[in-house]
Amino acid sequence: MKSILELMKEKRIYFDGGTGTVLQEMGLPAGQPPELWNITDPEKIISLHNRYFDAGANIVKTNTFGLNRDKFENYAELIRAGIKCAKTAAEGREEAYVAFDMGPTGQLLEPLGQMKFEEAVSVFADNIKVAAECGVDLILIETMNDSYETKAAVIAAKENCDLPIFVTNVYDESGKLMTGANPAAMIAMLEGLRVDALGMNCSLGPDIMLKIIGEFEKYSSLPVIVNPNAGLPEVRDGETVYNIGADEFSDYMMKIAQGGAIILGGCCGTTPDFIKKTIEKTESIPYKLPDKKDYTCVSSYTHAVFVDKDPILIGERINPTGKPKLKEALRSGNLNYILNEGIQQTDAGAHILDVNVGLPEIDETEMMLKCVASLQAVTDLPLQIDSTNFDTLEEAMRIYNGKPLVNSVNGTEESMSRVFPSVQKYGGAVIALTIDGKGIPDTAQGRTDIAEKIIERAGEYGIDKKDIIVDPLALTISSNPESAVVTLESIKLIRALGVKTSLGISNISFGLPQRDIITSTFYSNALQCGLNCAIMNPFSSAMMNVYYAYRALNILDSGCIDYIQYASSDNGKDAKQTETKSEETLHSSIVRGLKDSAVIQTEKLLKDTEPLDIINNHIIPALNEIGTAFEQKKAYLPQLLMSADAATAAFDSVKKKIPFEQSDKSKAIVLATVKGDIHDIGKNIVRVLMESYGFTVYDLGRDVPPEVIRDCALEHECKLVGLSALMTTTVPSMAETIKLLNETDKSIKVMVGGAVLNQEYADMIGADFYGADAMDSVRYAESFYDRIGR
Amino acid sequence: MKSSDIFMITATAEDIEINKNELAQRLNVKRGYTNEVIESCKSSLMKIISYKCVYIRTSVDMSRENICDFGFMRIDSRNLYKNLSGCDDAFVMALTAGIAVDRELARLKITSQAEHFITDAIASAAIDSFCDYASGIMKNGLDCAVRFSPGYGDLSLTFQKPLLERLNAQSLLGISLSPSYLMTPMKSITAIMGIKNEKYT
Repeated sequence: MKSILELMKEKRIYFDGGTGTVLQEMGLPAGQPPELWNITDPEKIISLHNRYFDAGANIVKTNTFGLNRDKFENYAELIRAGIKCAKTAAEGREEAYVAFDMGPTGQLLEPLGQMKFEEAVSVFADNIKVAAECGVDLILIETMNDSYETKAAVIAAKENCDLPIFVTNVYDESGKLMTGANPAAMIAMLEGLRVDALGMNCSLGPDIMLKIIGEFEKYSSLPVIVNPNAGLPEVRDGETVYNIGADEFSDYMMKIAQGGAIILGGCCGTTPDFIKKTIEKTESIPYKLPDKKDYTCVSSYTHAVFVDKDPILIGERINPTGKPKLKEALRSGNLNYILNEGIQQTDAGAHILDVNVGLPEIDETEMMLKCVASLQAVTDLPLQIDSTNFDTLEEAMRIYNGKPLVNSVNGTEESMSRVFPSVQKYGGAVIALTIDGKGIPDTAQGRTDIAEKIIERAGEYGIDKKDIIVDPLALTISSNPESAVVTLESIKLIRALGVKTSLGISNISFGLPQRDIITSTFYSNALQCGLNCAIMNPFSSAMMNVYYAYRALNILDSGCIDYIQYASSDNGKDAKQTETKSEETLHSSIVRGLKDSAVIQTEKLLKDTEPLDIINNHIIPALNEIGTAFEQKKAYLPQLLMSADAATAAFDSVKKKIPFEQSDKSKAIVLATVKGDIHDIGKNIVRVLMESYGFTVYDLGRDVPPEVIRDCALEHECKLVGLSALMTTTVPSMAETIKLLNETDKSIKVMVGGAVLNQEYADMIGADFYGADAMDSVRYAESFYDRIGR
Repeated sequence: MKSSDIFMITATAEDIEINKNELAQRLNVKRGYTNEVIESCKSSLMKIISYKCVYIRTSVDMSRENICDFGFMRIDSRNLYKNLSGCDDAFVMALTAGIAVDRELARLKITSQAEHFITDAIASAAIDSFCDYASGIMKNGLDCAVRFSPGYGDLSLTFQKPLLERLNAQSLLGISLSPSYLMTPMKSITAIMGIKNEKYT
């Protein structure tokens, strides 16, 4: 018999339909996992598969959707029995195949959920190992509504078998996965992972899928699978809209086939009749494998970014070179600073963010993985993973949610033989630097030759030219007078090879004054020569001016809409600044919770006031005013928090003027929600206020074991600890923490707070202070440090 | 899973009026109080919130004391048993405000604690208000008991699992459950609402 991949080249292939639906007709009680029947009632499962084969299906899905080691202790036995049933039904039939069916784990992955990526890979891997050992024709990963979990499942399949891999995701009526990915993003990621076919299943019904099939036809070079539900009854505006029957279903499937889907079947609610009718109506529709698409893109967990005529801005701010604050943040593990840089660049209009965390004194791989995962919780831009360490690149590509941009490979054999296998395995577009063992060629032709060599070598790994973005390297003109000219010439030659280009644009002006002038002019020239991507500073208005003007001038900004919006928003900001200047003071800005205004006022004051005087004479009195108003119930909690936000922003501006060694680390506190408790809103409020009062806060988060709290206090020689608990059940855990701290160092003071506590409780568990609210806690902390004389 | 008896209710931000008392309570303010930041958080949230609910109507066997047997799950709970007294049927539901809310909260946690607190409070009030809206559609004139959720009284959180599975809530709503029975998206609700038997009322 031909393999499924061979058959797929010749004709339209059909999947079976729903499993649960048919089994319930056979007497499966609602709520009972259908997989149990693989062992108890195998003849019924075989009969289910036979009915689908008889209806004309080519592939049946094993009855193993919900099985994994976390859900069933005997998952392996259930999988083996399920595969045996399907193989029994397929035996002796022509063009009959068995797909090992694998559904989601039921848990959401980090950062929004709790399951670790590698844990998910391992759960799926255990399933695949059993399936591979039993022998099936293909792996079907289905009903995935999260791109990240999809990636974990595909990696598990690739690492544990050589079988064809088919993947279908659940898109909702907005044409996106539950966690946000659109078809273009999923196609980018799955093609990068080298699956064999992809598409959609489940969802609300074939009508929803018909609406988005065009996206698949447009972007997918792989065969497209469509396995819809029979619809769901829905109540809308008091009307009940019911299921879709077999006739209506197959009508939709006909249109879906005409729209380019070549593998068809059904999901929840569909029966053999649905498949039979679908086959009847679609068999005669001309069959054609999809064309190979030739576009360059990278993706995040929501969308794909296409590299084409429209220039792409790659934000360069997350890179420690020449940035002492970022270096300090990396050394102290201050992820918030890095995440903030990510958010700011996103808001400033970057399309992709470069992430480089290389510092000799830190574990680069560990930090890179942390940054990539955390950034992907707060920004939906694709990331450019930037490292000179091959292991760091590979591990980050593995855990990246989407198809990354990889920075970089170069023309040396060492680099190509290390980077390309990772790109081949995990997918990605890669920046290729035109440098090799002999250095950077002086001529444009020399650089182009290296580009050609890299493209050819990539081809040997099955990496297409469209996924290579060449960077011909901009060197500073202060020491290489011909640099700009050669680089621009290189761009033209390299573009003629049919690949896209990128430049680390800021290097051109290194060592010169007023760098923006040179850099932005060079950027404009490079765009004229056909440059696609620029690694640049999105906060530079000179650069953004060029970007918006270039687009407006080159018919890339229809009606100059983006340009007009950019130009007017800039003016708007100036007007606002003058307005606030006239009426606000720093004090009033903080009291009213106006963050932007607080920053402007602070900067104004810094011109003629000592930083510490601003803190003591402006910020603290303002905070005290709103704090007192809150205590007297004249202000509400949201106002108090807004003021704290404004004070923190002012404080940050002041801190920029204080060298690191001078900043006040003597006022510190360790904060934690105790072990067993996951509520952290109260603790967070205390943190914000403490920070706004200038305390250094070591926030250990929630569910923190006593030993971790003790270790932190000892490490930072911090004598003040704040504990929070919101559930009665976790008060004992608080008592245990206090006991441990007392045993360790009697001079450590512990203050406690939280909804379930009161003075009596606090006394009982040996706390030094009970804070009824956040202000109370701040007052105590202030008095504590006043007492010990700092 | 049998899906033919699962009903779905969806709503847009405009469909749901957020309960003012609920909101004031969650924000820790007087009813009706608002300011610029609260309004701007509300308008950002309303752009991304996506309300969805799935539910079934099922019979409940209450013949043994303190045991509510729904067929697909058997719950041993004094409080729920009391809540469902006089009911032979119940609605079992799961609702969510969508994962985009979680992402917004994760972002605000970095950029602004005040906006984080405010948005969190509005989102909680919003999903509660949607729950009222959806319950109203389910009731459609029926006399119902007060909604009861896992985590209330002695009703263990562990029942989230069979409940969400029965409703196919993972693939229909994208709700997943952690080993400690916390739901993601964060602003999600599961509940049981008994239907009073007419002969008792």
